[in-house]
Amino acid sequence: MSTIKVFINDKEYTVESDITIMQACDTIGIKIPRLCYHPKLAISSGCRICIVEVEGMRNFVASCSYPVNEGMKIHTNTDEIRKARKDILELILDNHPKDCNACVRDEVCELQQLASTIGLRERKFEGVKREKYVDDSSPSIVNNHEKCILCGRCVKVCAQIQNISAIDYANRGFNTVIVPAFNDKIANSICTLCGQCVNVCPTAALTEKNYTQDVFKILNDKTKIKVAQVAPSVRVAIGEAFGIPAGSNMEREIAHALKLLGFDYVFDSQFSADLTIMEEANEFLERLNGKGKLPMITSCSSGWMKAMEQFHPDLIDNVSTCKSPMSMMSSIVKSYFADKIGKKSTDIINVAIMCCVAKKYEAQRPELAMEDGAHATDYVITTRELAWMIKSAGIDFKNLKGQDFDAPLGLSTGAATIFGVTGGVMEAAIRTAYELATNKPLENIDITSVRGNEGIKEGSIEINGQEIRVAVASGLGNAHKLLEAAKKDPNKYHFIEIMACPGGCIGGGGQPYAGIRDLPFDPKLVNERAKALYKADELNKIRRSHENPAIIKLYEDFLGKPLGEKSHKYLHTHYKQKFPKGIIRKSKEK
Amino acid sequence: MGTPLCILEEKRKQAKSRLEEIGYFSDTKIYIGMATCEIAAGSVPVMEIFKNELKNQKNIYISQKGCAGRCNLEPTVEIYQKDKEPVKYIQVTPEKAKTIIEKHIKNGEIITEWMGK
Amino acid sequence: MEKQKFTDRFSTVFADQNFFKKQKRIALKNCGLIDPENIDDYIFANGYTALATVLSEMTPEDVIKSVKDSGLRGRGGAGFPTGIKWESTAKQVNDEKFVVCNADEGDPGAFMDRSVIEGDPHAIVEGMAIGAYAIGAKKGVVYLRAEYPLAIKRLQKAIEDARKANFLGKNILGSSFSFDMEIRLGAGAFVCGEETALMNSIEGKRGMPRTRPPFPSVSGLFDKPTLLNNVETWANISSIIVNGAEWFSSIGVGKSKGTKVFALAGKITNTGLAEIPMGMTLREIIYDVGGGIPNGKKFKAVQTGGPSGGCLTESMLDTTIDYESLTKAGSIMGSGGMIVIDEDACMVNIAKFFLEFTQSESCGKCVPCREGIKRMLEILTRITDGEGQTGDIEKLEELGNMIKKASLCGLGQSAPNPVLSTIKNFREEYEDHVNNKRCKCVVCEKLITYTINDKCIGCSACRRSCPVGAIAGLPKEKHTIHEDLCIKCGKCFRSCKFHAIDKTSIAKEQK
Repeated sequence: MSTIKVFINDKEYTVESDITIMQACDTIGIKIPRLCYHPKLAISSGCRICIVEVEGMRNFVASCSYPVNEGMKIHTNTDEIRKARKDILELILDNHPKDCNACVRDEVCELQQLASTIGLRERKFEGVKREKYVDDSSPSIVNNHEKCILCGRCVKVCAQIQNISAIDYANRGFNTVIVPAFNDKIANSICTLCGQCVNVCPTAALTEKNYTQDVFKILNDKTKIKVAQVAPSVRVAIGEAFGIPAGSNMEREIAHALKLLGFDYVFDSQFSADLTIMEEANEFLERLNGKGKLPMITSCSSGWMKAMEQFHPDLIDNVSTCKSPMSMMSSIVKSYFADKIGKKSTDIINVAIMCCVAKKYEAQRPELAMEDGAHATDYVITTRELAWMIKSAGIDFKNLKGQDFDAPLGLSTGAATIFGVTGGVMEAAIRTAYELATNKPLENIDITSVRGNEGIKEGSIEINGQEIRVAVASGLGNAHKLLEAAKKDPNKYHFIEIMACPGGCIGGGGQPYAGIRDLPFDPKLVNERAKALYKADELNKIRRSHENPAIIKLYEDFLGKPLGEKSHKYLHTHYKQKFPKGIIRKSKEK
Repeated sequence: MGTPLCILEEKRKQAKSRLEEIGYFSDTKIYIGMATCEIAAGSVPVMEIFKNELKNQKNIYISQKGCAGRCNLEPTVEIYQKDKEPVKYIQVTPEKAKTIIEKHIKNGEIITEWMGK
Repeated sequence: MEKQKFTDRFSTVFADQNFFKKQKRIALKNCGLIDPENIDDYIFANGYTALATVLSEMTPEDVIKSVKDSGLRGRGGAGFPTGIKWESTAKQVNDEKFVVCNADEGDPGAFMDRSVIEGDPHAIVEGMAIGAYAIGAKKGVVYLRAEYPLAIKRLQKAIEDARKANFLGKNILGSSFSFDMEIRLGAGAFVCGEETALMNSIEGKRGMPRTRPPFPSVSGLFDKPTLLNNVETWANISSIIVNGAEWFSSIGVGKSKGTKVFALAGKITNTGLAEIPMGMTLREIIYDVGGGIPNGKKFKAVQTGGPSGGCLTESMLDTTIDYESLTKAGSIMGSGGMIVIDEDACMVNIAKFFLEFTQSESCGKCVPCREGIKRMLEILTRITDGEGQTGDIEKLEELGNMIKKASLCGLGQSAPNPVLSTIKNFREEYEDHVNNKRCKCVVCEKLITYTINDKCIGCSACRRSCPVGAIAGLPKEKHTIHEDLCIKCGKCFRSCKFHAIDKTSIAKEQK
């Protein structure tokens, strides 16, 4: 590593030679204000907030992209720079609604924080604003053009991380907007609804579709039984919304808060994660024995399911027919559990608390509906939405005593906990499949080869003398890469886990916004959440799904056996190729 | 095979003989401006008239040319005749073209008032 | 006809014309002389000699040295030394490199690139082949705007003919050098003339500029080292090779060598294209080559460099045309637009015209350009509408200076130039608009007052033409215009046969 000398604000520093001005300033403790920059995304230098003065250069220099060189004299805070930044920020704000108080991102808005950092105190150039337009066509994501500041992070995360490119810039100059292809609505587009764009959006231009008002309304409906379920990754992230350090496991506080909000029953999606493993492990063993296609691919991630139906329809037969844990739970609640408490399925309202915005779309899939055509899952709200509901209801979340999830659908194993992190489903499935197939205990149940935050991971395990090769991908860009390799060599893997979001569900599109001056979409944050889930797995006395007594009882009382008739009715589904705008139907395809 | 320059010399000879075939070295050469600007000013019908009227005339070479930069004078027609001063007509219309053929090409009578200044 | 006589056609045919007398044609040497669709015509006019010379006698280093020594600078606008660009691209080690020709001519009123491609397409093919040889590229792309169908057709034919004759393709003219090229069409975005946006567009991406560094010479088209030059630059190459660097550098002045093609437009007698040696004064090009201002009007300003340039006044007419002098005077060389403005034009309105153009052509990527130019245009619009406020001129200056220094690409960095230069040189006109709500040149519609004078014979033509019934008067009596009703459409003014309607702009306090 070679170093060079630079002068920053007239002081000499020795910095690495192959870094940018911004990075050099970061290392000496000066954080230059920035907006469109994100370390995980390609640098576009579009916002011009991070400009600095470099002696000898005619114009200001975007520090995010300009490399340092020997003897460079950089000024980050001159009067002229401060004035220019202020003018640039004003230009952004002049084309942005003045309705912070009524905005869903109030308090957690990057633009608001930037304005406070820059210290804008007067508005000199105000004029017309961008046309009002809200695309709320999709059940998951809302695009509000009025609030968009065109930083382009969403475009980049969609193209560079997810390899989908569902949205891009359209029109020129002042009329520029970010829209799906053909200027169409999100619902008609190839958007997989993963919600990573929402995660990186600095304003409320891209948000989840908010169902909190509907849920509050239903909670006040005395005629209904209100049932909540909570996804694994929600519990290790929600604390961040309350200023609790990342990686704190808040499952008992969540259960308590949900009861205070008025839910009659609070169940755990981890229970149905165990159930998923029972079905999926058995399905895998069946396929391994020649009944069905290999490699088998997991089906828990809603964003991935939509991506698969659009871009990889040739893999439909490879994808596990298991519903996601959320949908399994909702089906069981509206059948088995409804019977148990002597209610009709129509008396029950299922609300799922998820880290995910694509789950809102999954809930509305017709193939997942109950027999009467009603949705199994009535509402899906994200971690963010729940955090707001808790605040709005005046619940002192930090200081709650906490309580357990309700029986019988609240008990889960460590295997279910790690569903929230990339590789977790694979690990849980191996634990169960191995023991079901061999009738021997698995010696080391920590399958470390599929752990970690790499985008693509591989591992193998021997089951009855056969080497089972597995692979795991998180983030749709990585998934695409892995699947291309798997298509080239169909015998390469036996079992593949795909999660649409980088890092798995803990990096989901519905997780809390980054705190003040934190980085959105930060891998460090995701790592802390992952650690908390692995810790919970470690602390659980039961770490194999097939040993969950509540699951065993459910099969005894209701389902019969895995992959049995009832399982097929309530726990399995099917997929169909999708043709959103932009995907061309070939003549023979219908 | 020689150097590229030798090969080019060979090609130039071939080019010359091909040009000869199409009458490039005729005693009368007529160049008509056929760039977008000239076409917009109306050079296509002018070209047609020259081509049609002089179809059967021997020793006349009619060619298109690019824009010489005289926007306000287009369409332009240049006439070169052996041992005579070249003439350039400006703002040529189909009617003017017919007259130029009759007077200048056929009778050697230069129409000075239509020439560029 | 003798070859000698042939190439002297300009001086013989147009010897009596100042328009051509003061010109020096290098880039346009064949334009208007040869049949652009006949490769034989080009070959016979000494075409492809430069390429054959390079392949026979010169190493790539020799070629680069020659271009460097010639002092040629980019003719697309910025004037970066061409040889240095070639050298730095040649230095890159990569399995693939590209040469690109920027033929996305977008300045309003500029058409030199079109003229070269339509009149002498093989000059581009030859120039690019030489460039490719020098930097080690095998592939060339011409980014040509789709609005030039004839240029596309002729260049396409030139490429095909050159390929057939082995001036392109494998082992060109028996040498070990192979090179081929293709045309990519631009869809009409001004910003795609910016080199990095152009490369994005070729790649099939949205035409938005990339941040630099890395420069195209390091990472350009498809992230490969790319040599990108403008049409006119490429058109100069073969002459430099054939006549030598020394010959080229003997033309011109100071650090600006050779010639520059200008598109003369606006209030000038000889509108058209003129290639003049660097160092000629603005006065010479406007009055000698261009024939001065028509209709006996007075010269007011000249805008060079298209929408990115600035307006220069009469006192600057003796500025020599070279990169440094024009920049020093407050304008730029640009790609060669030259719009002459006479006394009838309102400078605020002119600035607004250019800003309207850049505003609608901004790509929308960076904030200063996307939002800032819009705000500047809003302020200018209210000034020309008679709603200017005290402080507006200062706001224009503040925004303009910030946008110049903070924008991502050349479009934004130069867009405020027309406004800033007119404020600098014609501040009193701005102040007149803002303070007195008056447009002295009687151009800004909303500041115009129509009145009827004593020449009125009461014919009623104006009354009948008025769409809003603002004119009253009995037949054969003098009519009057009701100012509050008048929408300033000017119909009455045009309908009057007796010069009885005055079009004036009166200062507010005098009303």
